[in-house]
Amino acid sequence: MKIVKLKKDNLFPFLEAIKGDAELWAPVKKDDAKHTFQPVDDFSQIDLDYTRTILPPRKILLPAKFNMYQASKSEFTSDFSHISKKIIFGIHPCDIHAFLTMDKFYSYEIEDPYWLEARKNLVLLGHSCWPDENCMCKSTNTHVVEEGYDLFFTDLEDTYVVWIGSSRGDDLIREKPELFEEDLTDTDIQKFIQRRENRDKAFTTEINFAAMPDLMELKYNDALWEKLGDACLACGSCTNVCPTCNCYNVEDRPVLGKDFSNIQRCWDACTLENYSGVAGGENFREKRADRLKLWYTHKLQSYISKYGKPACVGCGRCVATCPVDINVKTVAQSLDGNEVDSFWDRLSKEVTK
Amino acid sequence: MNTENKITAQSNPFLPEPARIVRTYPLTDDVHFFQVRIADMEKALSFRYEIGQFAMISVLGAGEAPFSISSTPSRPGLLEFCIRRAGAVTSKLFQLKENDFVGIRGPYGNGFPVEKMQGKDILIVMGGLGAAPLRSVLLYCLDNRDLFGRIILLHGAKRPAEMLFRDELLDIKKRDDLEGYLTVDGDDTGQWTENVGVVTTLFPKLENINPENTVGVVCGPPVMYKFVLQEFLKLDIPKDQILMTLERRMKCGVGKCGHCAIDYIYTCLEGPVFSYWDVTHMRELI
Amino acid sequence: MSKNNDKKLKIGIYELTGCAGDGLLILDCEMELVDIFQAADIQSFLMAKSDNIDGELDIALVEGSVSTEREIEELKDIRKRAQVVVAFGLCATHGGIQARFSEEEWQKNLKEVYGDIEMSHTKAVHSKPIDEYIDVDLYLPGCPVSKDQFLNFLVRALGGSPPEVYPNPVCVTCKYNENDCLLLKGIPCLGPLTADGCGAICPNHNVPCYGCWGPAEGANFTSEFYLLQEKGFDMEAIKKRMANYSGTKLQEFFEKFKKESQ
Ligand SMILES: Cc1cc2nc3c(=O)[nH]c(=O)nc-3n(C[C@H](O)[C@H](O)[C@H](O)COP(=O)(O)OP(=O)(O)OC[C@H]3O[C@@H](n4cnc5c(N)ncnc54)[C@H](O)[C@@H]3O)c2cc1C
Ligand code: SF4
Ligand code: SF4
Ligand code: SF4
Ligand code: SF4
Ligand code: FES
Repeated sequence: MKIVKLKKDNLFPFLEAIKGDAELWAPVKKDDAKHTFQPVDDFSQIDLDYTRTILPPRKILLPAKFNMYQASKSEFTSDFSHISKKIIFGIHPCDIHAFLTMDKFYSYEIEDPYWLEARKNLVLLGHSCWPDENCMCKSTNTHVVEEGYDLFFTDLEDTYVVWIGSSRGDDLIREKPELFEEDLTDTDIQKFIQRRENRDKAFTTEINFAAMPDLMELKYNDALWEKLGDACLACGSCTNVCPTCNCYNVEDRPVLGKDFSNIQRCWDACTLENYSGVAGGENFREKRADRLKLWYTHKLQSYISKYGKPACVGCGRCVATCPVDINVKTVAQSLDGNEVDSFWDRLSKEVTK
Repeated sequence: MNTENKITAQSNPFLPEPARIVRTYPLTDDVHFFQVRIADMEKALSFRYEIGQFAMISVLGAGEAPFSISSTPSRPGLLEFCIRRAGAVTSKLFQLKENDFVGIRGPYGNGFPVEKMQGKDILIVMGGLGAAPLRSVLLYCLDNRDLFGRIILLHGAKRPAEMLFRDELLDIKKRDDLEGYLTVDGDDTGQWTENVGVVTTLFPKLENINPENTVGVVCGPPVMYKFVLQEFLKLDIPKDQILMTLERRMKCGVGKCGHCAIDYIYTCLEGPVFSYWDVTHMRELI
Repeated sequence: MSKNNDKKLKIGIYELTGCAGDGLLILDCEMELVDIFQAADIQSFLMAKSDNIDGELDIALVEGSVSTEREIEELKDIRKRAQVVVAFGLCATHGGIQARFSEEEWQKNLKEVYGDIEMSHTKAVHSKPIDEYIDVDLYLPGCPVSKDQFLNFLVRALGGSPPEVYPNPVCVTCKYNENDCLLLKGIPCLGPLTADGCGAICPNHNVPCYGCWGPAEGANFTSEFYLLQEKGFDMEAIKKRMANYSGTKLQEFFEKFKKESQ
């Protein structure tokens, strides 16, 4: 691994140098305190002081709605126009891990060119972060990244320690080598180690993910699921904000005045009412509890057998999003036998009162 | 950075192949038969599939949906489907005529484990639209008659007019290397000469079943599974020799859209054919 | 949908009691209007043209709720003439704001406003969605319907297919737009209970959704009700907020709810 140093003042010149015509996406502060990934031309909009964005960066590769292909009477033409060269700057370790998990998912058995081609055209510039009470990435072991990025910037007050994670990352550095320093001093190394130790200690939420597959199995018929189902608003938000959710629908949308259709791919969410409906009005998961079971099976259990780790990367977005406190944190803690302070638990007491 | 954007993906698994309807006619009021050929001759011949697999058919302006391939891989070139009118895609499909275009993608799914079935007696039980995938199994077994032991067919429908492939099956039934039993729940024609009663009433007619050497195959409306499975178990057919195909919502057929998930299994990849043993593991089915 | 593929689709657009906002929306599709009139044979559309014919139709779009006896007759006549009847806009699908009262409340209000006068023209009835009187093939809710929803319906209908509808709640689009959730901030947003389609316009501007697209399929009223109560809103305030656009459906909920909580 090659490591270099970059003075903070040199960050924008560096981004300017590598950007070219690519779209550069970075965290930008929306109103109040929430952040979102946005394409930026004016780098002063970038705000790296964030914990998590509202939507995960997968939206940059697969937008909520895009054309997959055009269909006419006797011809089908691929449409990859949503794919262009992009740079994501400021992405955190959990989200990088999510990309790696989705890479496996989208290559499993049959390759999905819409994801994989967008990935090939993507440069990932990671950035260090500091946990809040909802971050669980230390428990999912996704708080550090060893691979999956081109460059990774660790914030050491006035400088960045920059890890080069790919040969493309190395090429980027070479666009403006004069901005970087090759040698790290002992003080730098000391600072880096200290920062890592402090950060490790800053995690306040610990989840026993290793126990989850067994607990999901053992408690599959637990009353917990009914409680969750009673409270769930079926709003789909937990699913839409999760970096490892992938479900979508396909729509055939004829173009007015033309004789072809755009075949569109649009996000779907398994927590929504009609997700599992089939012809004849049958719905395999009419109950909210059944839909939540599916979601938590995917997050806590099923990816382990297929890809060796849980789908959840601990980003805490579901925790920050669900209006009724149904999230990986409360569900895992409850599966693990703990009382949890949550709206869904209070509601269950209210209703059975 | 250079942004010149060249997509190198040679093949897009989501892109359908243009295909023409060669023949279509009604099997019953709301089920039509479709014979389809992929327009590109080379691709038509290289479309290799196994029994029990399915294809995605798309109809311009309406969308795309999964359908079991009803023809047998032993007769390549033409694909046959047996389709019930249900909603947007199927209604539009019913309006199409011979020579009209559709899109085809596939084949998808695991299909039946042909190797495991070889040398065994094959007991096929189908009801209603279950004939769509199981006709493929039946024709395949008959085309490769030497590979299998006894072939037994039990087929049920509500009324004679609703029996899919009625004439074809009545014909096949005449073969002496097949034991075929057809039944209807009720006969409103007065001309039905076969059995009357639900499909399970045919089981007592079966003689000398050697369960260890039998593969039971079932497909039909949801209510049918429960009862037929009971009959299979009563006959002592081992759980992993009882095979069935399941239906789920499907939008992609290739394990990406998520809709067909049962627990952590994607029906479009790991199914739609499951053994009874698989099914007892799947929490969402019980 | 239509039997004849080659001939232009015959469409009629009709107005019962409502604000005419849905018809106006069609006229607001400026970019597409020429294409629409070219692709379809608009037989009747009072707001847009004068040479209207009341004949056989492939599709009738009916806007507004049924609020007079004459409208009941008119509606039944439309049903007879049209192969497909579409409830167009919230008043037609759910009854609209005018249907928020119970039958008794409505009787009382009518008396208060009009006294005992005999209506000479046509007798008023308690406002109801059109499916109280006729079979409806398709529902396009919204106050008003959205352009995207209408155009999607139209382009699919022209090809003989129903639109693909995703009966999601407003929260779905709201999340796509990355709005900071109002409900989490203690603001009584009805997004989770309301059918999507507007593009989450209100939360986009930091205003809570007040439900103008009517209830979403499978909406969990009970949970949101308790949630709002926990956040400090009282029963009456919640009921008022929830009832505005939900027509008869929500009234049933509150009746049941009252009984249960007593
Ligand atoms: C592996 C597999 C094999 C199949 N093989 C066959 C076959 O051989 N022959 C055959 O006829 N069919 C087969 N099917 C079923 C077939 O795919 C469906 O009937 C088809 O998708 C219907 O499509 P449609 O567009 O015509 O109907 P749609 O318009 O999709 O729906 C028809 C009806 O379903 C309901 N519906 C649709 N979407 C939803 C939803 N989201 N929520 C709730 N209800 C909904 C609606 O009430 C509608 O009336 C198979 C399915 C699978 C998964
Ligand atoms: S389940 Fe929750 S914490 Fe885990 S990755 Fe998804 S949104 Fe993040
Ligand atoms: S669990 Fe929460 S966020 Fe997810 S659908 Fe239910 S209410 Fe919405
Ligand atoms: S602001 Fe309203 S509509 Fe948006 S996510 Fe929150 S509850 Fe849903
Ligand atoms: S009130 Fe709700 S449904 Fe109506 S426009 Fe606003 S967000 Fe949309
Ligand atoms: S049909 Fe899309 S995942 Fe199976």
